[in-house]
Amino acid sequence: MDGSTAKTKAADQAAGATFALSPYDEMLGPEQAVRPHYAALADRLSTLTPKELAERQRTLERFFLLQGITFTVYGAESSTERIIPTDLLPRIIAAEEWKTIETGLTQRLKALNMFLADIYSGQQILMDGVVPRDLVLNAPSYRRQMQNLYVPHQAYANVCGSDLIRQPDGAFAVLEDNLRVPSGVSYMLANREASKRVFPGTFRGAGVRPIDRYPDLLLTTLKSMAADWRPNPQVVVLTPGVYNSAYFEHAYLARLMGAPLVEGRDLVVHDNMVYMRTTTGLRRIDVIYRRVDDDFIDPLTFRRDSGLGSAGLFNAYRAGNVVICNAPGTGVADDKAVYAYVPEIIKYYLGEDAILPNIETFLCREPAQLSHVLAHLDKFVVKAVGASGGYGMLVGPHSTKAQQQEFADALKADPDNYIAQPTIQLSTAPCLIDDAIEPRHVDLRPFILCGEKIVVTPGALTRVAMRKGSLVVNSSQGGGSKDTWVLTDGKDLQP
Amino acid sequence: MMLARVADSLYWIGRYVERAEHMCRLSDVMLTATLDRTEAASEVARMALAAVGDPDDVLKAKNPYEAALALVLDREDHGSVVSSLSRARENARQVRDQITTETWERLNIIHFRMTDPNAAKTFAGGSQAFLHDTIADLHLFKGAADATMSHGEGWRFMMLGVYLERAQLIGALLEVCFGDKKRRAITDHTALTSLLRMACALEPYLRVYTADMQPRFIQEFLLLDEDFPRSVRFCTARIEEHLSSISRPVEGVGLIGPDRLAGRLRARLQYADIDEVQASGPTAFLGAILDECAAVHKSVYEAFVAYPLEQRLPA
Repeated sequence: MDGSTAKTKAADQAAGATFALSPYDEMLGPEQAVRPHYAALADRLSTLTPKELAERQRTLERFFLLQGITFTVYGAESSTERIIPTDLLPRIIAAEEWKTIETGLTQRLKALNMFLADIYSGQQILMDGVVPRDLVLNAPSYRRQMQNLYVPHQAYANVCGSDLIRQPDGAFAVLEDNLRVPSGVSYMLANREASKRVFPGTFRGAGVRPIDRYPDLLLTTLKSMAADWRPNPQVVVLTPGVYNSAYFEHAYLARLMGAPLVEGRDLVVHDNMVYMRTTTGLRRIDVIYRRVDDDFIDPLTFRRDSGLGSAGLFNAYRAGNVVICNAPGTGVADDKAVYAYVPEIIKYYLGEDAILPNIETFLCREPAQLSHVLAHLDKFVVKAVGASGGYGMLVGPHSTKAQQQEFADALKADPDNYIAQPTIQLSTAPCLIDDAIEPRHVDLRPFILCGEKIVVTPGALTRVAMRKGSLVVNSSQGGGSKDTWVLTDGKDLQP
Repeated sequence: MMLARVADSLYWIGRYVERAEHMCRLSDVMLTATLDRTEAASEVARMALAAVGDPDDVLKAKNPYEAALALVLDREDHGSVVSSLSRARENARQVRDQITTETWERLNIIHFRMTDPNAAKTFAGGSQAFLHDTIADLHLFKGAADATMSHGEGWRFMMLGVYLERAQLIGALLEVCFGDKKRRAITDHTALTSLLRMACALEPYLRVYTADMQPRFIQEFLLLDEDFPRSVRFCTARIEEHLSSISRPVEGVGLIGPDRLAGRLRARLQYADIDEVQASGPTAFLGAILDECAAVHKSVYEAFVAYPLEQRLPA
């Protein structure tokens, strides 16, 4: 596939059209009319004074602080703990809209797992030329150690958190897939607990679908990965430790699943079996839900200087005596360059069109597409393929000439490492900012589980760009979050 | 079944929390006593500081307020209340999945009070109230642990830490007040009352011995009373109880160590006679108890936490 001129022309028009449109407002429809699914919340808000709202916001923040849902800011002298900025106004999604998201995400994860199974065994898709061979095999996230390794149910990515955005026309599109160690699900659950306290009446009346089965579903998913050969598998959560910024989430999930939270130093590998050191001796482990990156899980197989994992773990996995979830090497399927091919991947394996569209993506490795990107740098968002967390990124319309020049040089020097997407106006949702309700840009991260079957939890983490006008929602860049209510239409069953 | 690292952390939570509570009480008694400008008052300050293990006790006793402030809020000092509580909380964070939310919340609230940027100001504004609230919060923490945590292995490791620490702290306090190194025995009524307050024992003592303050009675009560929760005997009985319950499921070599040591320690106190202790001088008796407490600590660590892997690998 090359960057045909037809495609770039269409993109020119699309990009132009996109900029002309104002962002989609989650609460207000045409002529400022409140959308039906937001009506109950809007009514409630009109009865609350700014002071009452501010009080509820403080209740919410205290809840987070006491629960220890914090991250640590290390200063020169002392360190302080802060909570992730959390907004008390829920973001609401109508039942109809959720159906599209649910089926779309299920389709996508199914295809991506088939893709992973393929590229780590027969590589049919590469032979058929649907995805360029070098793009996959040369990606740093491709782990050749995973080749021809049996993965139960072909479920390579067991936990997936995809980032969706709502385009100005109101349709959801996938911005990014997270198949490595996606985080944020604890915020989804904690935000829900908090918003039940803050808006109990509105919550009860709205008909919000419950999400509290997530830990149970996660445990079931993890157990299904070893159920074939161990009747009652021992599941553990592997954390890098208390200094990791997502440590709260690791402990939270472990507690709610009733699974031990282990660190690398608790593990012992002997005769290709993995054990943990307990007070009564060694105890065998069957499934490891690891929250440690590929590079660090086993110093014998991956990075030699890592002290976070356990030596010999990967060999135990190869020997089939333990399951690592997510499987190492899943990152190649959420690579920002491979992302551009996901619609083709879905078509190739499932024979279906993608239900949730991609954002149009230009691969700078293709000369024609590169020159187009260079000519319109002020309109594009340029991302480094390997980076995440909002780092290594240029937001064209918000950048200076000097920044654009810097990226132009980088693009020319190493085009393989960059992709570009037209700047999309993320939709906005009402947020409480300095005691007043103002719109802020939001995205949506639902969580999908895949073991024996695929389950989408009817809820999500809504990330918020707290700064006015900002389009960057990453928590490392000052983003916050809010609860997400998926409404029931009475027909949906429990997940 | 419980991770060895987790058991170790729970044990240390117990120790640190107990230590913090004791330090708060010593500071509180010292500050209250030294409101009077008497010789007995500075004796009390010296007792408190010596019990903490401060080598400059005589010097610092001249300025009890500064000494108490440092004892409570000095983050540089590893023995201070704020340091102990930070470590307790850090351990709790590492085993956050093992303690209930209710228990965690109590410890977290205390932590935020102690590390608040205005803590020193609050302390200056009313040190007794500050210490009183901290002690009350620590009681709430223990209460929450007792009422919401499963009384299984994890909870027992925490209690083991609490009682071992308490036995050692009370032992050290008695050694400071009645040991052979002491040049003259404490006979003053204020000093003896303050000593009982430091062990949170004044009211229970009065009920048994009335207001008759005798060093002999005080030693008997703090060492050998069967029912008072801060007597060394009571602590050692709990240590034995928790240990035997923890080690019941353990099979293997060398695991009778902590059980045997704890049983001997308990028996030593259960069958001790205060006249004999007095006759041979309290130092010998207290020294033996403190040594055996240290031995229990060491053997717990070797049996449950840092055991050699070779013995436990499957054949």
